[in-house]
Amino acid sequence: MPATTENNHNQGSFLGRISIRRNQVMSMSMDGSHDTECEEMELFQRHVAERFAELLSCTDEPEAFMSIGWLRKLLDEFLCCEAEFKAVLLMGRDPFQIAKPPLDKLLPELLDRIIKSLDVCNAVSLGIDSLRNIQRLAEIVLSALDQTLIGDGQVRRAKKALSALLSAMLHEDKDGGITKGTERSRSFGRRGNKDKDRSAAAPFRSLSWTMPKNWSAAKQIHAMSSNLAAPRGNESSGLALPVFIMNTVLVFVLWTLVAALPCQERNGLGTHFQMPRNLSWAQPITALQERISEEWKKKEKKGTVGLLEEMQKMEKIAQWLLDFADSFQFPAEADKLEEVKAQVEELADICRKMEEGLEPLQLQIREVFHRVVRTRTEFLHVLDQAAKLNIPAS
Amino acid sequence: MDDHKSEDQHLVAAAQHILKALAASKAVSDDLRKTLLDFDIHLSAMSIVERSIKQLERKIKFAEGKIMTWKAKNSMIWDCGSKESSEYLEAVSEIQAAVHNLQSLNEHDKELLGRANGILQVAMAKLEEELVHILVKHKQYLEPESFANEAGSVDLVNPALIPDLKSIANVMFGSKYHQEFCQTFISSRRDALDEFFVVLEIERFSNENVMKMEGNCLNREIKKWIRAVKIVFQVYLVAEKRLCKQILGDFNDSVYQFCFAEITLSFVLKLLNFGEAVAMGNRSPEKLFCFLDIYEVLENLAVYVDILFFEEFGSFVRDEFHKLLNKFGEASKFTFLAFKNAIANDPSKARFPGGGVHHLTKYVMNFIKTLAEYGEALNLLLADETPADPEGNDDDDSHPLAGEFWSVAATLESNLISKSKLYKDVALQHVFMMNNIHYMVQKAKSSELSLVFGDRWLRRHVAKFRDNARSYERVTWGPILSILKQENAELNCTSSKENLKKKCKDFNASFSETYRSQTGWYIPDTELREDVQISISQKVVHAYRQFTGRYSSTIDEKWKKHTVDDIENYVLDLFVGSPKSLHYFSSSAQILKRDKSV
Repeated sequence: MPATTENNHNQGSFLGRISIRRNQVMSMSMDGSHDTECEEMELFQRHVAERFAELLSCTDEPEAFMSIGWLRKLLDEFLCCEAEFKAVLLMGRDPFQIAKPPLDKLLPELLDRIIKSLDVCNAVSLGIDSLRNIQRLAEIVLSALDQTLIGDGQVRRAKKALSALLSAMLHEDKDGGITKGTERSRSFGRRGNKDKDRSAAAPFRSLSWTMPKNWSAAKQIHAMSSNLAAPRGNESSGLALPVFIMNTVLVFVLWTLVAALPCQERNGLGTHFQMPRNLSWAQPITALQERISEEWKKKEKKGTVGLLEEMQKMEKIAQWLLDFADSFQFPAEADKLEEVKAQVEELADICRKMEEGLEPLQLQIREVFHRVVRTRTEFLHVLDQAAKLNIPAS
Repeated sequence: MDDHKSEDQHLVAAAQHILKALAASKAVSDDLRKTLLDFDIHLSAMSIVERSIKQLERKIKFAEGKIMTWKAKNSMIWDCGSKESSEYLEAVSEIQAAVHNLQSLNEHDKELLGRANGILQVAMAKLEEELVHILVKHKQYLEPESFANEAGSVDLVNPALIPDLKSIANVMFGSKYHQEFCQTFISSRRDALDEFFVVLEIERFSNENVMKMEGNCLNREIKKWIRAVKIVFQVYLVAEKRLCKQILGDFNDSVYQFCFAEITLSFVLKLLNFGEAVAMGNRSPEKLFCFLDIYEVLENLAVYVDILFFEEFGSFVRDEFHKLLNKFGEASKFTFLAFKNAIANDPSKARFPGGGVHHLTKYVMNFIKTLAEYGEALNLLLADETPADPEGNDDDDSHPLAGEFWSVAATLESNLISKSKLYKDVALQHVFMMNNIHYMVQKAKSSELSLVFGDRWLRRHVAKFRDNARSYERVTWGPILSILKQENAELNCTSSKENLKKKCKDFNASFSETYRSQTGWYIPDTELREDVQISISQKVVHAYRQFTGRYSSTIDEKWKKHTVDDIENYVLDLFVGSPKSLHYFSSSAQILKRDKSV
């Protein structure tokens, strides 16, 4: 798409921002500025590929695949992509370019996806709340078992917390997962209070005000990934491509978050959306997606808390410790106690990571929320300008 | 066990006896004597410990009895009266002390310590249950209406139970089971908070849902939300924080602050999320009042939020609140700007029939009349951006919003001028402007707006519409009046008879034409209409009377179609908005008036 001369003189355009890169080529011919645009888009593609390739290669602590540290890195990369995307599409550009086909349809779709993504952000943020709850229960286990002398009292204390913890891990998709301390009880209605139910079979009372009743994270992701089609033919070299890339990145990142963290109603998440094949920039993302999908399939059968590495580890430890607690007789053997000590140390390590990482993660998700809202507002603004310029002067 | 212990004790006593005897013997060296005496002291200490342990064992056994009895029961201790509960707590304290003592004694009786810890755990588990029970049973339900007006002195839990809750806290913290206490406490209070949502009739909406809401539905939800936000921050959370402090204030400050933050964080974020969704809605001018409503409320609540969440634990909430406040500020500013642009760009395609007050004028003036009620909020938002008034209405005494409102008025005027140019008839252009500026002045004079617009602006614009009135007269009636005027030189001209005939003919034609078109014009304001009519009358009727009077001898009755009185009456038909025309019959001075409907 050859650039028109308007692009070269953008000082008067609504945005009033002059891209430094454009400045450099203003003295060049029309074709020159076209090259710059292509260059920008090439760069964008390359950066996206690089960023996700880096995520793919993360294997070591503290950014092991699907750990809290890794998710934080993922969100960082997302924000970088988003910022670059905005620069490519908006900076120094005439509003008209954004408003004409095929962007006239593609952009509103992206903006719509953004709205959907906000609900996902909120759901995932609530999920982090339940993780924090699990962390507190784990800390009780630590208090109980991180001792030189382990007797019945400590073991029973740990067992109580462990049962609550494991239940929270297994139930939270449906019920919101927040347990009442280590006690399961509920209050009925507003005015009466019947006795709380102490039986082990009592279902957990859900956190009543979570996401709307019939909302489903899986369905939301599916809705977002529908109509996600790679641009073809002429369009594949124009602005439609960065829009497609941004759409893909957005959906992928959210999908990953939902897979990792507890979230309302994730049945069906495994049916993953179609990733574009044969696109160089998309290879790392596709690889990541396949890896996550496989993990998901494995876990889905067992019904678990999500793929977060810390949770996977914690589940194993908690199960081991619970088994230990069930079969405990005072006094325990020295080598058994050594094993307990090792497990407890690992658990302490996980709790530490959660203590350090969960809040920043939650803040980051909130940052993503605010950023995409702002992006949407900016795009709406530009589209509005373009529409106004179309109206003949009164 | 006891036998075993007393056997040990006998052995020790015997050994000490032997030691003392040996030490007293002269056969022993000094070194050996020293060693023997050390050993004796050691054995003495052991027996003290033995005695202490025996004591502790007794106490543990006694407390165990109490605690295990309650374990077996299904009922709640705190339901059974204060004697039971204080006895229970005493028992727990005993166990607690026993554990502490056992741990500090050099000789660890691991079995006894284990037993004590075990009993302690049972007690702690029971106390956890009791805690939940008390918190739930003595929860106080709040009707929003009851504390709409009063702040702060609300009790979320029956105050009589606070000492009991404190006792339980003290005991659990003292036993290092503070984590369980906090976890349970936080959960229970979170439940209570969630229930409050139901009381407030706040529903869960996804962002998508909110964005799709329109008109009345959205307004209704916003109203509920505003009410909720006020109650939550000004009353409920204040009470919650106080409750936390009452129960946990004896410990390190960070404890109650932490609990408060954990209880409220998620809830507040969920509450604010609805606001986030509303802020993202479309920015049409109609939304301005909604945005300003919310902005005002949030602005007023900011100080409560800052106090409630001023600690580190609450910084996230505080930040999110302020972000939301800013979003509504931005949205308001933006929408106000959109409003101004909408005025400027209002299309002028069709001529507004009759030259009356355009609906744009009515819309704008009524809009800013309502807007003036948000004076404070607008002031905060637009303070830095008030444009200098092009007409120099600025004054030191000007209302802070004056600049903005003058600017809006100026934009409106500009657009109206474009609209007036659609009329081919210049006179109508003036009538149109006169009508509209007059309307603006009338509205601006009303209570809220007059303070904003100020006297100078009002005077200037009164002058403007009067100017337009005069221009209209000049354009329409000037030529007609000049027909009736007679130059001195022609007074005695022999062609004056023909001249006069022509004059009459011209006058009749012009007047008739003017009557025909301008009866269809409209001046909505009756006073203004009368003023214009009177002004016309004074000039035209007077001139006509003079003209017909002076030349009454020369003028043929046939030429004169109207009497002076007729003219006077016809003028009253002007600007009423129902077009009429004058029809002439060739015979005598019969005049027929026929109404023509548009």
